[in-house]
Amino acid sequence: MLRNIVRETSFLAKDRGAIFWLTLAFALSVVAVSFGVTEVREQRETIATLIKEDAADRANALQGQEEWGSAAYYAFHLTYAPPSDFAFAAMGQRDSSPWKHRVRMLALEGQIHESDTRNADFGLVGRFDFAFLAASVAPLLLILLLYDLRASERTARRHDLLVATVGSPTQLWLPRALVRVGLLALLLLTPLWIAALIESSSAGTLLQATAIVIGSLLIWWLIVELVSRIDAAPSILLTTLIGIWLALAIVVPALSKAAIEASNPVPDGGEILLLQRETVNDAWDLPKEDTMIPFVEEHPELADYAVIDGPWAWKWYYAFQHVGDQKAAPLVKQYREGRLSRDRQAGLVSLLSPTSFVERAFEKLANTDAASMVAYEDAVREFHAQLRAFHYPLMFPEKPYDANLLSSLPVYKPPS
Amino acid sequence: MSPVTRIAREEWRLWMRSKVVVAAALIVATLLAATTLLTINRIAAEQSERLEQQIAAEKTFFAQPDRHPHRMVHYGHYAFRPPPPLAMFEPGVDAVTGQSIFLEGHRQNTAMFADTKAAADLGGFAALTPASLYQLLLPLLLIVLGHALFLRERESGTLAVMLAQGQSGTKLAAGKALALLTVITIFMIPLVAVAVYSTSLGESGLAAFSLVGGYFVYLCVWGAIVLAASIILKQRAVSLGVLIFAWLFAALVVPRFAINASSAMVDAPGKIESDLVMLAEQRKLGDGHNAADPAFQRLQAEVLEQYEVETIEELPINWRGVVASYSEAELTELLNGYAEKRMNLEAAQSRIFDFFGLASPTIAISSASRTLSGTDLATHHRFLRESETLRFDFVQSLNEVHAEELDYAIDMNRNAGPEASRRARVNAEAWQVLDEFRFVPDSAGERTSRAMMSMGTLTFWLLLAVAFVFISARRVRL
Repeated sequence: MLRNIVRETSFLAKDRGAIFWLTLAFALSVVAVSFGVTEVREQRETIATLIKEDAADRANALQGQEEWGSAAYYAFHLTYAPPSDFAFAAMGQRDSSPWKHRVRMLALEGQIHESDTRNADFGLVGRFDFAFLAASVAPLLLILLLYDLRASERTARRHDLLVATVGSPTQLWLPRALVRVGLLALLLLTPLWIAALIESSSAGTLLQATAIVIGSLLIWWLIVELVSRIDAAPSILLTTLIGIWLALAIVVPALSKAAIEASNPVPDGGEILLLQRETVNDAWDLPKEDTMIPFVEEHPELADYAVIDGPWAWKWYYAFQHVGDQKAAPLVKQYREGRLSRDRQAGLVSLLSPTSFVERAFEKLANTDAASMVAYEDAVREFHAQLRAFHYPLMFPEKPYDANLLSSLPVYKPPS
Repeated sequence: MSPVTRIAREEWRLWMRSKVVVAAALIVATLLAATTLLTINRIAAEQSERLEQQIAAEKTFFAQPDRHPHRMVHYGHYAFRPPPPLAMFEPGVDAVTGQSIFLEGHRQNTAMFADTKAAADLGGFAALTPASLYQLLLPLLLIVLGHALFLRERESGTLAVMLAQGQSGTKLAAGKALALLTVITIFMIPLVAVAVYSTSLGESGLAAFSLVGGYFVYLCVWGAIVLAASIILKQRAVSLGVLIFAWLFAALVVPRFAINASSAMVDAPGKIESDLVMLAEQRKLGDGHNAADPAFQRLQAEVLEQYEVETIEELPINWRGVVASYSEAELTELLNGYAEKRMNLEAAQSRIFDFFGLASPTIAISSASRTLSGTDLATHHRFLRESETLRFDFVQSLNEVHAEELDYAIDMNRNAGPEASRRARVNAEAWQVLDEFRFVPDSAGERTSRAMMSMGTLTFWLLLAVAFVFISARRVRL
């Protein structure tokens, strides 16, 4: 076997076409990971700057406040999802879903749907990241490398002679294809490994990524192998293979996406917003109890302090902000669950399409998939809850304002 | 029948006999038809939904009861962007940006609830639109049909016969080109149908048919590239391989590479980042809610002098309304400055992206397509600007009501009890200050002139490719 491989490698060295495709694969991989690493660094820098600016702004806003209510009103808090140590390989949803917010203690539904995303063209066209290379481009390169192994020998009229002289055909075709697939995998993966070292990604992640790339190349190899057994002209084989690629990379995902979205409707985001807004605004004109009763139902420990006598009190203001969120909660839950079930079903369907599968698997490893974006939003909700849990026990019993206590304001921790 | 048409007819006869070609063409045609119908339906539904939402938002605003005018500033309003008629062919950035925006006092919000945020994620190509089929799939079909267009004659030995009979390589190439051209023309039918339909929905003929023209040029570029490859290259499989590489490069790699490059070359800070810088400045301006802020001392002196009174209580207008209006104007100027800066940086990124059209005709057509359809980034920016104008106008009109129709003493006393707070309200008729908002696409002239550069790039590609075909056809030897 080893002898066969050595022989095929020396043949390959003379095949200019093959060398071109392999070099191209390497160059594209280098480009993809270096852009990825640059982008991830930029995002980390942005987050570092934001943390600093955010703290400065909050300190400034809190200065000179005299009430708990106004301190909570003016203090914004940065929340963010830092790119993972593998995000350079798959930017995934980070271009179309927001990964940073500044929230305060007002109704969260009015804040969390803000989308501070990048240039819309980015989300539309997509980036050339490693996940895209491995999922969509690498199979095409593999097809171009392998489709005419047999057919080119046929064209050169050597095919039958070759098959007759070797003991078994596997001794001939297997090493020949193996050398190509192996080199393609190696050239694609080397830049990824180097970038992973630079970014100090975890070994487990890298191992899985490597397995995914190799696995997908093996599947495509199998497809090419099956097709190229057909005794047809190389151009017909190539056309057929490109057709299969189109079906698996474009048609199947597009059809499944349409079907999944139709069968898993999510509520219109505008409705969430409208409901929350209307509730908050109506509260101004309603009797105070209409706000305080549903509020106390969720916060029984504050029942003793929930009677509002005057026309205005901060605690009433924050109570109706929260009641707005409470009212919108069922819709929000539907929206969140709709997103997650769409994502789950997309995960199942992606088993039918190697390109979708690879892209999704990379996004999952990189924590840039839809579930990670939902997890970030959950972390923001959790932080907002902490913020309320900090302020309510001070604000409701109307404890005297003490600026020193604010140094123990909850600090946002990104999801790990 | 001239030799050119005879050659073209012969080509068609061969295509009709090839199962691969017929199958490929049928599949593409079916996909195109299905995607077009689905997209037309979806966009039509979205369009009527958005319009309804816009009208409903206005109705609820008008229907608000008597209130303190500043409450209405915070009650806010919504602006919706219905998709333009041509979005049924090219939905463009609409899916990524979100199409509704909440408008309120003292804040500029972002557009919310982009479709992509809740979409089932199945990788980069799952969001099929008629436009993306034209951009990606039709060139591939032309490649399958045409990679051996000229080569075939060489392989079968008929080239020698024809040249010997005195047919020139150019004439032969013209016949082949005619055959491809008829294919392209046939596949333009769905787009022409969409274009005609869009004009019946109020789209201008100029924009719709510039779009048709753009795609026709784009497909001709590919046709010419395919023809040139089949003339120059000597082996079917090599020709197909080279063309597929060209497609891979132009349609898959370069567009995404261009996105990476424009993002790396121009750093456009996000809204939160620029807001933080701005907030520091904003604090210097003072808080519009607090009329006693020192930053307003100067304003106070001016207004007192203007009305020739000594104290704000003596003013014929409500001082708090004056302050709200003044600080809203100051803040908006500041916010707009930052928003413009951000949008300019994004526009600069898009220009870099367009520039890559010189490396890939797919980029040129996709930019032209979005621009002509009115679904490009520039249109989204205009939506942001127009909704901002809407916001500023209604907020300032409410502030004017605050200043002129609500007595200062009553206003200051508003928290003294239920009766006092009831008196600090104005009649709901005042809410009529809100303008109707109907977002419309740019004029066709505007869009076509914005698409000039991309269309120019496409024309350049066409000239280049045709010249290439011409030169290689003239040099045809055995």
